[in-house]
Amino acid sequence: MKRVDLYFSTKLTFDDYVHNHSFALRVIPPETECQNLLSCSLNIQPYVRTDQTIDAFGNNVTAGYLSGEHRFLDFEIKGTAEVDQTKFRTDYMPCYLYQSQYTKPGVSLNAFYSEVKGKCAGSPSERAEALCNALSDVMCYEKGATDITTTAEQAFVLKKGVCQDFSHILISLLRMDGIAARYIAGLAFCDGETHSWVEFWTGDHWEGIDPANNCPVNNDYIVISQGRDFRDCAIDRGVMFGKYTRQLQLVRSILT
Amino acid sequence: MVQFQERQFMQAVGNAGEINELLRRYGVKFGIYKNGVFHEQFFPFDPIPRVISAVDFASIEKGLVQRVNALNEFLFDIYHEKHIVHDGVIPEDFIYISKGYLAECEGITPKNKIYSHISGIDLVQAKDGEWYILEDNLRIPSGASYPLIARELTRIAAPQAFKENKIVDNRGYAELLKETMEYANCGGIRAILTPGRYNAAYFEHSYLAELTGSVLVQNDELFVEDNILYHRTYSGGKTRIGVLYRRISDEYLDPLTFLPESLIGIPNLMEAYRSGNVGIVNAPGNGVADDKGIYYFVPKMIKYYLGEEPILKNAPTYLPFYEEDRQYVMDKLEKLVIKDVSEAGGYGVVFGSDLTKDKLEGFRKTIAAEPRRFIAQEVIDFLDLPIVDNGETVMRKADLRAFVLSGEKTKVWASGLTRFSRNPDSFVVNSSQGGGFKDTWVLSR
Repeated sequence: MKRVDLYFSTKLTFDDYVHNHSFALRVIPPETECQNLLSCSLNIQPYVRTDQTIDAFGNNVTAGYLSGEHRFLDFEIKGTAEVDQTKFRTDYMPCYLYQSQYTKPGVSLNAFYSEVKGKCAGSPSERAEALCNALSDVMCYEKGATDITTTAEQAFVLKKGVCQDFSHILISLLRMDGIAARYIAGLAFCDGETHSWVEFWTGDHWEGIDPANNCPVNNDYIVISQGRDFRDCAIDRGVMFGKYTRQLQLVRSILT
Repeated sequence: MVQFQERQFMQAVGNAGEINELLRRYGVKFGIYKNGVFHEQFFPFDPIPRVISAVDFASIEKGLVQRVNALNEFLFDIYHEKHIVHDGVIPEDFIYISKGYLAECEGITPKNKIYSHISGIDLVQAKDGEWYILEDNLRIPSGASYPLIARELTRIAAPQAFKENKIVDNRGYAELLKETMEYANCGGIRAILTPGRYNAAYFEHSYLAELTGSVLVQNDELFVEDNILYHRTYSGGKTRIGVLYRRISDEYLDPLTFLPESLIGIPNLMEAYRSGNVGIVNAPGNGVADDKGIYYFVPKMIKYYLGEEPILKNAPTYLPFYEEDRQYVMDKLEKLVIKDVSEAGGYGVVFGSDLTKDKLEGFRKTIAAEPRRFIAQEVIDFLDLPIVDNGETVMRKADLRAFVLSGEKTKVWASGLTRFSRNPDSFVVNSSQGGGFKDTWVLSR
């Protein structure tokens, strides 16, 4: 067990006024067998009333509606949590066994899987490790080559990407191998932005693996949201009205 | 019976021109997209009604109520405990590969556990008189307004027909729909959500709103605030909506849950719905139950959930997914009708008898590669119905879409949409494939 302080903030700035802005944030970490929140506060500016719900995947959703004109939306969470990865999470859903929008393999991922599946043997943990190793051998971590709309297949063709792409590719391979897998968005000690990794189903519980760093998940990781792929885990989704506006997003996270 | 029909034909035929003219004037149209261009076409009305005897209807009614009740139980089960999968009645693959299954709806319990409030069940009658279920439509089945307005106009054009015969009044649909919507109401006004006038069924949306006293709305008049769905009024105020009969498909419903690029949805509607603050008619996620692959399992569902024998039969169906069925399908392909489970509206339906030898061979390979994608059915020799074509009475294939409404009780509307194929060689009657429609008369005795 480890006690950690978490901080995460996002600043969304629009270059013109917007209004009738609906948003849904997935930023409050869920309470699970492996993480217990001792404190957590969410601040949103401009002031807006919000409602909390829990979605199908177990994520905390904060929904709000800003009807008036505004040029920014900032939110931050601050809290303290106890993390214990030796405990088991068992919230299984069968949909995690099936490919989803971002993980659907194409020609090159299918070919890669045929190539490496011979090395996959033994328990789900051993197979996950083998797939993660195989992936690390061919993929190169590089920022800017991909964006949030890049699928596993597209990133694999490029042979480069960031944590989100590594996660999607590993999930795709695991599902091809008949192992249920889910996408995790969260905070980790390694970087100043949000991180992403993968959990696979061993047959009776979930186990975490970080494909971007090719290592198992330990008490230095905090889950913020989970789902079939990135689409279920977006930190913020919003719809607003206004003239054509670009938005600038700044994200900062600290785990200590 | 025969005597009765003959007499009605003559009377109705005499007035066909007049009724079609009235329909045209009322704007009863049907829109389709062809090659990316929107065409609004007149949905041709045939004046000779389909007549269903009281005895026949009573048995159809019982069978439909049973079927829809089982389908509603199935939907609740799939989005919660999934007993039917754990007990091995339906293989897991059929549920989770279905495009209609929406993981986002897991754990949501709609008010009174009703998922399919308005079910459009398509049936055909075989030459031996037996009725068969062709498919279930549990998402947003359309078409109820056509027999409604046709009846209204026929009353004007041929009042004598209704005076002399005991025909069940079909105007009760409005009351039935209103009742059903009220039973799903979570507190607030009733609203019908339309994507707008370029939708195929816009006529129906506005007509049903008028009949049920619901507000006809488009998404830009709606918003979710404090987890409650509101209608923005003309004066700048807001009115709470308690039940939304939405005529847009699931994936466009809420851009913050489903397709982010949807411009016709309502952001955060799913959060309000999940919290029980608004009823959605029909529930999102119903597509998993009317998938063509799931159709095969509906008789098994009836036994599983209700412990009853199915009253209405499915058309004999084979799943290439099962080894023994696959062999039969491969051997008898030229005799069967093959349906792609991911297509709707009469698209993706292939008759083996229409294929050349080469094409049959190619199709066998496709089925072998993707067995889960197809179902195969025996071609039912269904009863032809008379229609008027250029002043002559000719026989054409027709089906019946029955409307089953689930409120406090499950009820079958004593009417329905009879669609026919205008092409003498075609079995496909979908309106998007250029067919026409008839009124459906249920006799009261």
